[in-house]
Amino acid sequence: MNQDVLVWCLVAVAVIAVAAVAVLSIRSRAVEAKKQHNEAVLTARLGEAEGRLRDVSAELHRRQAEQQVTIRAAEEAAEDSTKAVLKGAARFLQSLAAEQMVLLEEVQRKYGGHPVLADLMEVNHANAQMARRAHGIAVMCGAPLGRRTKAASVYDVVRNAQGQIRNFRRVQIMQQTGFALKASAVSPVAHAVAELLDNAASFSQQDAPIEVTFQRVQKNLCIVIDDAGVGMNDEDRQNATALLSGTVQPRLSELGTQPKFGFPVVGRIAAQYGFRVDVTGVSRYGGVRAVVLLPEELWTEEEITAPATQAQAQAPRMSAVRDTDDTYELPRGRDRTVSGLPKRGARQRRDTAAPVREAGAPPARPAAVERNSGRSLGALQRGTLSGRNLDSTPSEGPEDS
Amino acid sequence: MSDEPEPEPEAELELTAPLVPFFVVTGGRSLPPAHEYERTTLVSAKRDAAAEARTLSPEAREVMRLVADGFLSVAEVAGHTGLPLGVVRILLAELADEDLVLARKPIPPAERPDKELLHAVLDGLKTRFGA
Repeated sequence: MNQDVLVWCLVAVAVIAVAAVAVLSIRSRAVEAKKQHNEAVLTARLGEAEGRLRDVSAELHRRQAEQQVTIRAAEEAAEDSTKAVLKGAARFLQSLAAEQMVLLEEVQRKYGGHPVLADLMEVNHANAQMARRAHGIAVMCGAPLGRRTKAASVYDVVRNAQGQIRNFRRVQIMQQTGFALKASAVSPVAHAVAELLDNAASFSQQDAPIEVTFQRVQKNLCIVIDDAGVGMNDEDRQNATALLSGTVQPRLSELGTQPKFGFPVVGRIAAQYGFRVDVTGVSRYGGVRAVVLLPEELWTEEEITAPATQAQAQAPRMSAVRDTDDTYELPRGRDRTVSGLPKRGARQRRDTAAPVREAGAPPARPAAVERNSGRSLGALQRGTLSGRNLDSTPSEGPEDS
Repeated sequence: MSDEPEPEPEAELELTAPLVPFFVVTGGRSLPPAHEYERTTLVSAKRDAAAEARTLSPEAREVMRLVADGFLSVAEVAGHTGLPLGVVRILLAELADEDLVLARKPIPPAERPDKELLHAVLDGLKTRFGA
């Protein structure tokens, strides 16, 4: 009987256990189902949210792009209007500076014998520097440079450039050439060289020389500027090359508060007038070697005598008298000044009297051999006499012969 | 609005001032003292100056050419070169520094009658014969 009880108990326990297992499994299945359902709902929501996010970010990008375009347009408009304003102002300064250069030249001639000349030359120097700045700003704003109507020797063009920088005394032009620039190239080349000289001067020590030489390489004429500065690293070189070739044209607003006009301006001018500028070379002093490469369209080989242009301005009436008759008959060039005046040397005045010249014979040659003695004395006397006649008015061409 | 400045830009500015300003011709040197290279000072090239003269600026060479054969007054050099007197004086001082030219003081003015004496005579005449 005890056994029966035990068996029944065991059976009961087994039944309970089975029932419990059954209940538990049903429950867990229900929980599982619920969980899956919840997961599905959540995934759907997540997908929805992600989709919305994607839309929003796409919208954002679109808006950003739109904004960029608008900003760029606004910047360009601002740049254009700034340029227009600045261009007007620069052109005004350009013409004022040019006017002042002419005025100063006249005043310097007027007070040529007065000590004030030294100060006038200082003023002229300051004005030349200002003119360069004005031209630079004008070019950056798309206005043309001032132009010149006369061809000039390369040497003089470089001297003009020299006058446009502060420390012009440091510039040494090492040679003179028989090359002349065509009129249209004079002003742009002078400006480009001035900017390069200024660059050379500002990146080297105060007393270091800046040397200018000329070279003819095949069909190109090169103006070579060597400085003794610190040189450039590769990045600087690349930037400079990009600016000088005109491929990169920085905006006005990108030039900084102490604007660096130099290379952008040179790049623009070079592209406009068809020459090339290179600053990647190393100078013989380890600094920068800048080369202005002028194609043959811009220059000729004819020689232009520098003082002639200046003398003509001063003494038109002297040359007018002279040039008409016998200037070209004279076999000895050294007997004449550039303005066509007979040169006053020893005994020349009497020896080259009119009859001799009409015959076209070389004047004063035969006499020259015999008259060595007493030559200086006579010259001295005549020099004094003529010097005094000349004292107040420098024009004395007509009185002679 | 942006068209406003357009008609003007075609008028290109013409630069009429001489290409090489005087301060470049003189190399920025200052004027010699007033008593040196006066108008009537006589200058002449030294005998053996021709060779060195080749490296000079065109203006300095022109001056050398003018004074090559004999003495010439400073004022005359200025007249012939068409350069202002001061510029020529600076060039001459530079050339003299380089030992290329010789300067000679002007010949003292010929005996001029004493001004005071003339005044005295005039006064005498006036007192004698009335105004």
